[in-house]
Amino acid sequence: MENLQFIIIIIFSPLIQGIIRKFKAGLQGRVGAGILQPYYDIIRLLKKEMVLSTVTSWIFKITPYIVFISTIVAAMMVPVITTKITTKSSFSIMGDVIALIYIFALGKCFMALAALDAGTAFGGEGSSREMIVSILVEPMIMLCIFTTAIAAGSTNLARIAEQGYIFTPSHVLALFAFMVAVVADTGRIPVDNPDTHLELTMIHEGMLLEYSGKYLALMEWSHYMKQMLLFTLAVDMFFPVGIAHNIEPSSLIVSSGVYSLKILFMAGMMAIIESTRAKMRFFQLPSLLGGSFVLAVLSLLTFIMIGK
Amino acid sequence: MKNWIDLLYVIDFISVGILLSAVVLNTLKRLESCIKAYIFNSWLLSILVFFVAIKTGNLHLYIAAFLTLATKGILIPMFLSKIVRQMKVTRTVEPYLSNSLSLTISGILVTIVYTSLREGILVTGFSVHVLKISIAVALIGLFIMITRRKAITQVLGLLFMENGLFLAGFSLTFGMPIIIELGILFDMLMGVIILGVFIVQIRRNFSSVDLDSLTTLKG
Repeated sequence: MENLQFIIIIIFSPLIQGIIRKFKAGLQGRVGAGILQPYYDIIRLLKKEMVLSTVTSWIFKITPYIVFISTIVAAMMVPVITTKITTKSSFSIMGDVIALIYIFALGKCFMALAALDAGTAFGGEGSSREMIVSILVEPMIMLCIFTTAIAAGSTNLARIAEQGYIFTPSHVLALFAFMVAVVADTGRIPVDNPDTHLELTMIHEGMLLEYSGKYLALMEWSHYMKQMLLFTLAVDMFFPVGIAHNIEPSSLIVSSGVYSLKILFMAGMMAIIESTRAKMRFFQLPSLLGGSFVLAVLSLLTFIMIGK
Repeated sequence: MKNWIDLLYVIDFISVGILLSAVVLNTLKRLESCIKAYIFNSWLLSILVFFVAIKTGNLHLYIAAFLTLATKGILIPMFLSKIVRQMKVTRTVEPYLSNSLSLTISGILVTIVYTSLREGILVTGFSVHVLKISIAVALIGLFIMITRRKAITQVLGLLFMENGLFLAGFSLTFGMPIIIELGILFDMLMGVIILGVFIVQIRRNFSSVDLDSLTTLKG
């Protein structure tokens, strides 16, 4: 039962994307598409015929499955509404937050390879940019995670989420750094513009340019899932208040309510960040990401020295 | 009230904020925002002194908090921004080092302070952590003084250093007697005013506040 909570992420992740788009449209004074639009997109794409370039190899065909499945495996390790999952389930040997980050990296690696595989200029551009961003983002995420892991005394996400009320200077610093990392990793505005296919700016879209039909649906869906997973990770590490510690129905209902409020809050934050910031030039990114990297280092140092 | 301060770790939060505003100074590109960082730093400093005053109930700490706010939080920033506005100093900061490099170096400075004070020295004040943070702030201020081109950013570095030293003295001794406190603050104010006059003169003679132009000899 408690091992099935990853299904929440699979089912509701397009909804979160729709909600973020709706929030953004509202902030920009547009009506915007309905919040169910990402579902329609996925269903439509699944029905469409696929066009494959003749120069592509097996990497191009296997990548959508690897990305999709690795995201689902990552989702299995994250406590969504109850922390019982990783402590008792069969995934407990790999239910560790460091493994989680590297399962993300596996998907990202295959995505970059597939973008190179099609042999277009945009694919190579997109994958090299994505790799530069992730070189800067990954150590940042690791440092934020180390801060919370040292505080909890374990790298197991369920243990971290079981902490309950956490509000210390180091966690606040780590939260800011982690938010920058989430923005960069989900390809949102100061780093990448998710709505455009302009060749000068695109990072994530550049890698998906050669995909169509069913494969594109899988890639888009796993991108939504990754976004919701990162939100869940942030919620688990920094605001674990209200998460259930058992699988009794009453506490699960309370926990799901609290969880959806927290995720809606994160979605609203993303919409506000995207509507108030301008897209940065690509070569300015290292200064933003370097700044938040220093923030993450400071959070770890603060934790070690202040002890809270 | 006293329990409430302990419960929310208010003092820790404020001291981390002080450190952060000093680190942020490395990334700011405009002079106005540098001055804002200084205002933020000084307000946090006076709030910290105020909370310690509530905790210990010393009258002279209340006075120190008020004086810090009045001089460092209001008078000096007003004077500095007046210089920036009137002298038509170009508003961008031009450091010798790139932003990310100076950010990294100040991160390293904080690490050095933390590791070298790891064992801790005997502290009679209210917090060991605040001492570490104050020394880190003083070092970052010194670093900014060294690496900036313009007279006004060097003054800002000096002011940050002074804030750090004030915090260090305060965390070790619960603040000096009020008469010494007054003397230091008055000295600061005078120092900043004299430096301001210097900046005006430098600008009048060399038509820039870039201190590099002072190193070329004339004659």
